[in-house]
Amino acid sequence: MRDFVVPKTDTKIQGEVKLEYAFQLRAKFDPARRSRTPKGDFRYQDITSGDVHGERFNAAVYADSGGQYDTVRPDHIRDVDAHFILKAENGEWIYVEHVGYRRPDGYYRAIAYIDADTKGKYDWLNNTTFVVTAKESADEREVVFYYYVAN
Amino acid sequence: MKRKTHPEAATDYALTSLDRRTFLSGGAAMTAGAAAALATFPAQRAIAAVPAATATATAAAATAKSDSTSKGSSTPSHQAPEATYYGAPDSDIPKVGLRWAFSATVFFADRVMIGSPAPRGYTSVGGGEVWGPRLQGRVLPASGADYYKNTFNTYYMYEASDGALIFIHNRGTMRRFQMPEPGKPLVPVASGGPPAPGDPPVWTRFRATPVFTAPDGPHAWMNNTVFVANCQRQDNPDHTVFTYYEVL
Repeated sequence: MRDFVVPKTDTKIQGEVKLEYAFQLRAKFDPARRSRTPKGDFRYQDITSGDVHGERFNAAVYADSGGQYDTVRPDHIRDVDAHFILKAENGEWIYVEHVGYRRPDGYYRAIAYIDADTKGKYDWLNNTTFVVTAKESADEREVVFYYYVAN
Repeated sequence: MKRKTHPEAATDYALTSLDRRTFLSGGAAMTAGAAAALATFPAQRAIAAVPAATATATAAAATAKSDSTSKGSSTPSHQAPEATYYGAPDSDIPKVGLRWAFSATVFFADRVMIGSPAPRGYTSVGGGEVWGPRLQGRVLPASGADYYKNTFNTYYMYEASDGALIFIHNRGTMRRFQMPEPGKPLVPVASGGPPAPGDPPVWTRFRATPVFTAPDGPHAWMNNTVFVANCQRQDNPDHTVFTYYEVL
């Protein structure tokens, strides 16, 4: 290993992050299909429908464009991994990815990475970091995701 | 000490006037920028539990401490932080909280571009420090890099003060705005394409979202927690200060 002495600089810097609510996605999923894997129980849920409501963003889920590809770890925490496509009210296509955790204690938090057309109305979604929380129905087939911009 | 430095790396040098060899051997503290920073260093920085492996850094920190203690320092950076919750006008929308967990200063060494179909960048991590209420330690020297393609995408290791090795995969976004004017809202700049010469200067909001793999034990919470960071890029030496918030 290389030696490295940390130069003494500026650990006084404490940059802030503030959250600002942006929109919500009401999504419907097929029942989860589970399979046992060496990493835990793989849990696949197809996204069948849904819609996005927000002041600056309205869209519909493109049916069967993806879903949740979670892994239920041995400690019962779900590593959330979701990918799907939205179609905005003006026809633009938008990609959404979620990476996060769903814990048995009710904590469901993720980061959303969103890609949109740089020349379109939704360029503001690009390069924006979203913090997501979610409310699930008892059967876990209806999930409302709430997106906050990390400003 | 023998060091491997990519031969092309020496050509990509505009970002910092620091000699990489000097930087990696610890001579960076002698550079003008670092020396200036040292002079204004807050005393509480030395409070962080520094692993034995960075004994030389500790010695330097002790010097920094004695220097800056005499100037007097106010708020300790290690006090228990408060959570801030954010909501929406509609009270049905669940609130989400943020709480400062720790910070990391990461020093970069080589900057290289690979001319792949979508260009792949390589910015190696030289080392650094981790401090704050929920984690202390260091960035394991030469343990990885930012292997970016369009956006920041780093893989490297922390070594906590108890010796635990923690893997960080950190993705980031940089959103560009016109240079902010006091009292006015930020005006975003279209994200398409790289900035051209002659474009007006932009202000960048840099946020990172790490996923940690930590061993069982006191750091296991990092495997179950979503984080978001404010990232401040700094020159001379080339480094970034990451302030990590737990998402509550």
